[in-house]
Amino acid sequence: MSVELLQAAADSNRWGAIIPEVSLGCLALLLLVLEMALPRRAHRLIPAVAIVGQLALLVGVLACFNAPYLGTETFNGLLVHTRDGQFMRVFFLLASLLVSLLGAVSLARRQLPRIEFFHIVLVVSAAMMLLAQSNHFVMLFVALETVTVGFYILVSYFRASPLSLEAGLKYLITGALSSGLLLFGIVLLYGVAGNPLLVGSTESGMHFGHLQTFLAANPDHFLASLGIVLVLCGVCFKIGAFPFQIWIPDVYQGAPTPVTAFLAVASKAAGFAILLTLVHTAFAPYAGLVVPTLTVLAALTLIFGNLAALTQHNVKRLIGLSGVSHAGFLLLGVVASLHAGSAASAIGAVQFYLAVYLLASFAVFGVMTQLAPAEDATQELDHYRGLAKRQPFLAFVLAVGLGSLAGIPPLAGFVGKLAIFINAFDAQLYVLLGIAILGVVVSIYYYFGWIRVAFFGESTESETAAATPREGGDGQPCCGCCVTRFVLGLLAAATLVLGFYQGGLGEWFFSR
Amino acid sequence: MITISLNTLVLLSTALFAIGFLGVLLRKNTLIIYMSLEIMLVAAILALVVFSRFNGTMDGNVFVFFILTVAAAEVAVGLAIIVALFRKRVTIEVDELNALKH
Repeated sequence: MSVELLQAAADSNRWGAIIPEVSLGCLALLLLVLEMALPRRAHRLIPAVAIVGQLALLVGVLACFNAPYLGTETFNGLLVHTRDGQFMRVFFLLASLLVSLLGAVSLARRQLPRIEFFHIVLVVSAAMMLLAQSNHFVMLFVALETVTVGFYILVSYFRASPLSLEAGLKYLITGALSSGLLLFGIVLLYGVAGNPLLVGSTESGMHFGHLQTFLAANPDHFLASLGIVLVLCGVCFKIGAFPFQIWIPDVYQGAPTPVTAFLAVASKAAGFAILLTLVHTAFAPYAGLVVPTLTVLAALTLIFGNLAALTQHNVKRLIGLSGVSHAGFLLLGVVASLHAGSAASAIGAVQFYLAVYLLASFAVFGVMTQLAPAEDATQELDHYRGLAKRQPFLAFVLAVGLGSLAGIPPLAGFVGKLAIFINAFDAQLYVLLGIAILGVVVSIYYYFGWIRVAFFGESTESETAAATPREGGDGQPCCGCCVTRFVLGLLAAATLVLGFYQGGLGEWFFSR
Repeated sequence: MITISLNTLVLLSTALFAIGFLGVLLRKNTLIIYMSLEIMLVAAILALVVFSRFNGTMDGNVFVFFILTVAAAEVAVGLAIIVALFRKRVTIEVDELNALKH
């Protein structure tokens, strides 16, 4: 390798472009340092440091949203900075901020090391931000594995609970299996793209742009097709699409509630971010293979997710399986974005759906965290019986969140679903659209079952007694729960307002 | 010197990968499943080195270091989870680890 080449590679390292990720990593380290440096009494301040730090970063990223480095590749093609990448940055920061808040509420009731939780959440969200901007398979793999290994620890974080550990083991096996598939797919693509005997072979077969050029020159190559399918399988594990959704109910049930929220929102969004990047850059020449595969997956995911959620009594399993159906709606948007004419607007619709899903999911998970019993995995629908009489505010937030997830008209979830459906209609995906609309009808049934229990169920004496003493907890100051209630109110209000009026935000998403 | 063709080596790594994959799906002992997962990673590493050698590019060899590092982290976390679970449940058979049912 010549000196000029190395010089050019070094010049493309623009550290300014990844300041958010670097500072998030530094914040994570700072938390550990603070744990060592501060006296034991002051440890309760550390979660506040994490939350304030993330808030400051979020403000910083929003302030520099249209940064000058947008549209360029940095770090010798490892990263590419785009508008979509900026959106995902904000999305992941918001998600980790809310997870930290829920984690502070949930961990306050337990005798467990607390600081490591926030540390891992921050590292994982930094990795997800890099993942959404990756432009090279090495970057993609390393960032994805950082996310996955972090999640292994987070899922089994309540290590006194066998259920949490069992969920961790199940996530470990399925996660490692999916990484293996993804990795083998990457290796096949690298091997084929670098083969000097083929037309247009490239030296850097793991760079998305170069790979796209190679694939365009070699349509219908068997090993390349196999590699693409394996990579898509690995990504589908992350988003929980149909044949790869087996881990979802068990892991969602056993994981601590804040981690379930993180998995349901951020991990799924990360999967969709890389799926969108891959199908629109590297795999674009193989649309003849990718589009039918994703179409079938979307249909099966929609059918399975909604039918399986119908019979659940544990709310965490219910929300997990309904999350599978949300992956189906999002896949519908991805498929629509692959049809000519509606690409840009369909990507906007998927992003809007993700944003709305974040607001509604965290409203529901926030309520679940507040009401969680001592054994976190056993949250049954019956615990919500008569919630409206005991805790009218939480019941209201729950109703808004679930209504938005179901897609009831005045709420934001409806607009999100409508945007996806309009794009699917424009792309002439009538069969998929029919399945999706039937899915909405089914989902209204199970979401409203939950709302009905909370509002019209009669609460028995023993449940009321079991539910009340947790509020005061172990002398925890009520400041934390006031903040959580305020944030829950904010999420519900945002869901309501976005349903009526999208304004400039809607314009940003839909007209591109 | 014996020269081995690219096809043979790729077939070997594919066979290793298939063994690992089937091991994960069919075996019932968590440690064996974990070994099978590592076989899958090793198969990918072998294929990577082979392609790197035959294509004359260094990217593959460099990627191997990343994979090894990631695999080490995964093993450290994974074995910790398995040990903690064994302490609570005194079993590592997947058939008996089925407390998470509705």
